[in-house]
Amino acid sequence: MRGLLLSMLALAVGASAASAQTMRPFSTYRQWHGETSTSARLEFAAGALRLAAGRPAELYRMDVLYDADRYQPMSDFDAARGDVTLGLRTAGNGGLRVVSKGQLRQTASVTFSPRSDLALAVALGAVDGDLELGGLRLTNLELEAGASRATVRFSEPNAARCRDAVLSSGAAELTVLGLGNSRCDRIAFEGGVGRVTLDFGGAWTSSSRVSVKMALGAVALRLPRQIGVRLTLDKFLATFDPQGLVRRGTAYLSPGYDQAARHLDIDITTAVGGVTIDWLE
Amino acid sequence: MRAPSRRVALVALAALVVPRLAFAAPRLNPTGARAVELVHGFWSLVSDVAGPTADTQSPHPAPQAIPQASAGQAPVPLDDLSKPTAIEAQLRSALRPHDGALRITVPNGTARLGDFSIGSNESISGHLLVVQGTADIYGKLLGNLVTVGGDVVLHPGGVVSGDILTLGGEVRDEGGEIGGEVRTFRSTSVLATPIETRPAPPSAIETLFRRLAGAVGVFLTLGALGFGLVMFGRPNLEVVSDTVSHSFGRAFATGLLGQLLLLPTFGMMVVGLILSVVGIVLLPFAVVVYALLVVVAAVGGYLAVAHAMGETYTRRRLALGVMIGSPNSYRYLVVGLGALGALWMAWALFGWVPVAGDLIRGAAILVTWLLGTAGFGAALLSRAGIRENFAGRLIPPEALTDEYLWATPQFGVTAAKRPGSRTPTRGL
Repeated sequence: MRGLLLSMLALAVGASAASAQTMRPFSTYRQWHGETSTSARLEFAAGALRLAAGRPAELYRMDVLYDADRYQPMSDFDAARGDVTLGLRTAGNGGLRVVSKGQLRQTASVTFSPRSDLALAVALGAVDGDLELGGLRLTNLELEAGASRATVRFSEPNAARCRDAVLSSGAAELTVLGLGNSRCDRIAFEGGVGRVTLDFGGAWTSSSRVSVKMALGAVALRLPRQIGVRLTLDKFLATFDPQGLVRRGTAYLSPGYDQAARHLDIDITTAVGGVTIDWLE
Repeated sequence: MRAPSRRVALVALAALVVPRLAFAAPRLNPTGARAVELVHGFWSLVSDVAGPTADTQSPHPAPQAIPQASAGQAPVPLDDLSKPTAIEAQLRSALRPHDGALRITVPNGTARLGDFSIGSNESISGHLLVVQGTADIYGKLLGNLVTVGGDVVLHPGGVVSGDILTLGGEVRDEGGEIGGEVRTFRSTSVLATPIETRPAPPSAIETLFRRLAGAVGVFLTLGALGFGLVMFGRPNLEVVSDTVSHSFGRAFATGLLGQLLLLPTFGMMVVGLILSVVGIVLLPFAVVVYALLVVVAAVGGYLAVAHAMGETYTRRRLALGVMIGSPNSYRYLVVGLGALGALWMAWALFGWVPVAGDLIRGAAILVTWLLGTAGFGAALLSRAGIRENFAGRLIPPEALTDEYLWATPQFGVTAAKRPGSRTPTRGL
């Protein structure tokens, strides 16, 4: 036992010494000059990421602590097109660092102005992400979560009408909370392996269509009772318990679907795994 | 000590200690950070005395324009600041002084060394590079702004039409307008060696007063600590002091060994606590306690050496028939610290003398280390004044016979001849 502990201690000390990083802080921001819309792309390969609405007087801000040996900060605004690219790019000569999550000490905090319409594209690598999108004026969302554990929240209603929210993940654990506040006309999720939780709570102001494609993993749906839900399922070796839904033809409908003012139509395609439903009161 | 003088000493100690406590109270925390801070503060105080003082706040150089580089040197374009690390690399190369002079070419712009400001009615076209200075913007800059080793202060009404990049500084936006992006690296290695930032060396008088003040401050602090020690732990101090007097060589050897074993012992303690698993919880406390014990042993030992020196000197004076008002521990300590401080005072006064000053300083360091080591060893030998084995106080075991209780010792102490006693006459 003692020998094992000693080995672990030596391993931990050796590993931490081997992976000594040169952490460097970097900040960038841009004042808001009356821009009505912005298109933002955020790339973050590894570490912890927080995204939220920021100060109205700043179009965007990023504070990052990064591994200067392997990454370079990105901050590039194209004034003509209103595009901004933020995040970290690999330095090109450091190679890929394979470490435990505890050693990924890179952190980033990104905020966007709640005054400007925002089309947001986020690409995450091995990231522990917390994306609070409530309070923003989100018009479009693209999220690629490679091997991340990410939580996307809409704690407040989206201040703008969102056309599409396209979420994809490789081998990730993705939780999306308050999709009712997102005001997105179409929501699509495509996942490889992992677990996805889609919470459709929030203030529904319009109907929405949702498409979920999951190869191998669990899909958990949290559905509100106050809107009409229609679910179609294409599954191969997946389990599904349609609790609270009534089968009509090839679809499962919530009671009172036809009379509901707003509808949520969900199409699920899954190969192996399970689909579970929880009802939100 | 007589009652009035004891009262005065108490009041003086309270005056020294109470304000410090009152100041420290709101910042007390259970993590032991205060103790570490105390130790750090003490050592920085000592280093102020032991070494030449250097001003860590390097002032900005005198404002001046940086001349353009010669044809062979690559210019540093500041048109595009979207790749800040690339700009940083270019500046690192360009800001190396060539032939002792700093030269740089900024296409479509100017470069300045030291603080620079744009007045409220001024407007400058082109990019601006400010090296080792603060850029105060009251007016308009029609271009990009880069600072190296300095801040950007954008005052109300100030305008920078382009981007801002600060390398080793920050941007303070106090109500100005920035047309482009702001990028900030708080730290940078562009200026590995600051340019023209060596402050003028302090004058001899200034150095002398600074050193004197440092030495007096340290020894006054030691005096205050010593008075507290005498007041609350005199028996222990006396035992450590006697150990130094009676077993100096042994105390020095122990102190030397103790210094060598400080780190290994610490390491063993940490590893032991980690291996015991349960002890991991105690690790932070153990580290703090260990550090405190070492500091207490070192400072207490040094004070005990001062006490021993003072006692020896005072007793010799008494033996010569000199009348001394109150030969007590307070006096011993003051005399001893005075003697120890004299060497440092000599350095403070004559440290500026070439060669001799360095010799005095070396001697002061050596003597302080020798005596400190002996004191530390005595504190270890006597277990902080609990064990009297090496203090020369114990009666030798051979004296502990039955006869000892009633008979005059036959060795060790010469039997006193009592006045009026008769020498027995053989045959009576």
